[in-house]
Amino acid sequence: MEKKIRVLVAKPGLDGHDRGALVISQALRDYGMEVIYTGLRQTPAQIVAAAIQEDVDAIGLSCLSGAHNELFPEVMKGLKERGADDIIVIGGGVIPWEDIPFLEQAGIQKIFTPGTPLQETAIYIEKAVRERDGLPVTGNVTPPERIDHIGIAVASLDEVLPFYVNVLGLTLEAIEEVSTQQVKVAFLQIGNVRLELLEPMSDQSAVAQFIAKRGQGVHHIALGVTDLTERIAELKAQGIKMIQDQPVPGAGGANIAFIHPASTHKVLFELCEKPVVKGGVS
Amino acid sequence: MNKHHDRIKKWKLATEKGMQRFPERKETFTTSSELTVDRLYGLEDERYPMEKLGLPGEYPFTRGIQPTMYRARYWTMRQYAGFGSAEETNKRFRYLLEQGQTGLSVAFDLPTQIGYDSDHVMAKGEVGKVGVAIDSLEDMEALLRGIPLDQVSTSMTINAPAAVLLAMYIVVAQKQGVASHLISGTIQNDILKEYIARGTYIFPPQPSMRLITDIFAYCKEHVPKWNTISISGYHIREAGANALQELAFTIANGMAYVEAALAVGLEIDDFAPRLAFFFNAHNQFFEEVAKFRAARRIWAKLMKEKYKAQNPKSWQLRFHTQTGGSTLTAQQPDNNIVRVTLQALSAVMGGTQSLHTNSRDEALALPTEDSARIALRTQQIIAHESGVADTVDPLAGSFYVEQLTDEMEQGVANYLDKIEALGGAVAAVEQGYMQREIHHTSYETQKAIERGEEVIVGMNSFKMENEPQPELLRVDPSLGEKQKEKLAALRNTRDQNRVSAQLEALQRGAQGTDNLMPLIIACVESYCTIGEICGVLRQEFGEFTGV
Repeated sequence: MEKKIRVLVAKPGLDGHDRGALVISQALRDYGMEVIYTGLRQTPAQIVAAAIQEDVDAIGLSCLSGAHNELFPEVMKGLKERGADDIIVIGGGVIPWEDIPFLEQAGIQKIFTPGTPLQETAIYIEKAVRERDGLPVTGNVTPPERIDHIGIAVASLDEVLPFYVNVLGLTLEAIEEVSTQQVKVAFLQIGNVRLELLEPMSDQSAVAQFIAKRGQGVHHIALGVTDLTERIAELKAQGIKMIQDQPVPGAGGANIAFIHPASTHKVLFELCEKPVVKGGVS
Repeated sequence: MNKHHDRIKKWKLATEKGMQRFPERKETFTTSSELTVDRLYGLEDERYPMEKLGLPGEYPFTRGIQPTMYRARYWTMRQYAGFGSAEETNKRFRYLLEQGQTGLSVAFDLPTQIGYDSDHVMAKGEVGKVGVAIDSLEDMEALLRGIPLDQVSTSMTINAPAAVLLAMYIVVAQKQGVASHLISGTIQNDILKEYIARGTYIFPPQPSMRLITDIFAYCKEHVPKWNTISISGYHIREAGANALQELAFTIANGMAYVEAALAVGLEIDDFAPRLAFFFNAHNQFFEEVAKFRAARRIWAKLMKEKYKAQNPKSWQLRFHTQTGGSTLTAQQPDNNIVRVTLQALSAVMGGTQSLHTNSRDEALALPTEDSARIALRTQQIIAHESGVADTVDPLAGSFYVEQLTDEMEQGVANYLDKIEALGGAVAAVEQGYMQREIHHTSYETQKAIERGEEVIVGMNSFKMENEPQPELLRVDPSLGEKQKEKLAALRNTRDQNRVSAQLEALQRGAQGTDNLMPLIIACVESYCTIGEICGVLRQEFGEFTGV
């Protein structure tokens, strides 16, 4: 069994507000970490000593009194002096945004502001620790949110569209050329999902090769995600092979990247991130 | 004929007689449509639940502790303030008084609250951050300069070293020529909730309770207008409790103080009238109103029936309210103005005696002057524009509010039974019972928020991209150094022999059973620092290090 990640949750200074520290401690425990909570009123020196003695992977500092700019860097200094600055330090509490760059410069890896989901903090620590230790980052893939569309390879849009529009009665939303993929795409909406009919624009197109090898038919399934770059990184950390390592522009203004079928038991999946409407509600 | 006819008639006569001394704000109150607003509604109803509600100003005080409530005088608008040096805070106080605030409320920095001088190693980074730094009488003189202490009532959020700060206040008043029996105000002085929720304890529970009962006894004789304790649910709620737990644990703590005072031989009616309470107001409007109304009824019954108090003043639960700091979001901070308005309204509907409205930027930093002004204006709009203060206890008789009030009362009774079985509030605190109950609720609430079952507007729903970042107040980081220099100068100029003699006298007192207040006052007058005074008591009493 793998060694559990050990975290010291610490309250530096005189601040007695430990609701956040207690909640985070429990959330990290529920996530599967071992957590040591120092209790109130710890000096930076006491925190450093406890971290070393308990052999922790990470320290979470919580301060709501406004003394973070003095106390957090003291902890970093102490860790460095004792040769323990491989311990990952994060912070939280009532910390104004404008102080974050200063604290990060002092060596705090991340400051979490009020309203950060508990899970996010746990995932962050796990990832940071595993990266530090050169381990594959596992267990923290964010699942795709929905089926965005199903791609169907067709030799000729003109030939197949009458079936979709006249027989099935679907509405043709648009036809668009995607030059990066060398395809012409027709969109048909069904509920929250689309069908994308893909006609190759040249013999170099992947769709042309697909048709040559396997004939017309279902080509790929697109999974809707947010933060595509992050998602690619997460999958790669799992050892998944990507066709595109970076997001590329796809149809309809989306950013996309394909997962290599060698990693997916032969199904071609596309990750698809739709542009966000600014100022909208979520 | 109404079966309560005689009692109501008597109440009406007494109320009108009282109004000759304390008249209402207006001869007649009317709505915008010229409809007359009566002092009180519901009395003509044959089914009026007299047993449960009583009449305003009468046992069990469900409808309020005064017969005319805000028709005579609004609640005291008391904004908690304090940061940096005594001089800076003095400026903010004068500003707030000019803006129409009617009482002062002092926030102290953490070293002061934990009895450390600004030059103590534990004070590093904390001097002046969450409140004003007070090391000695000298700072207290600067804090209160030019403020007429015979006219302004002052609330001090101070607990473990409450005796020291009260002593300083008494001495500053004397120097202003105001005798101690004329000053009025409140010290928080509620140590039990520090162990449960707020964390600024110094000594273990037993000697802490002694300091509290010493204050009760001293003030009864010498500072009769002072509220000697403010039994606080506020911080229990902020630590994550729900409304019922807030009320139940506060009442349980209140009972522990009463029993401690009785145990040292004080008479119930000698100290009970000076007990005050401090509650939180969160967003669930009707539940909050019910909580306040239930609080009064529960306390009245306990004082009269369990503790046999005779003086009606002993039965009355008077309380201060502050809106809920933990309900404010760092995201879209202007939304917090609306939250505070709803919360403040619930406190007014619940009959609060004084109110602090939080500033919109408190999830980010201490409030700026602009934010503090909007917070005060919120109260003024409720008072002067909404008309809600023109009749007494307007939500009485609502099926919903009355049932919630009853259920709050029953829920508190259940908790009190559990706490009694553990040996009372002090024992329950020592065993960590309340702490665990609160933590359980707070963790479950947080998870519900994250699952989206509880919607927090602007935080987990209705989010905004690229929020503008508001202006924030910064406390001068060099203050720690300045305060240290001031202390060094003081230590050089004061009469060191007198300081040592007074500290030794305090030490002997702490070893015995004499009332410590006169000894602490003598220390303060000799310019002993708070760290020196608490240092002596630390030696004698030991320190609390958590459960």
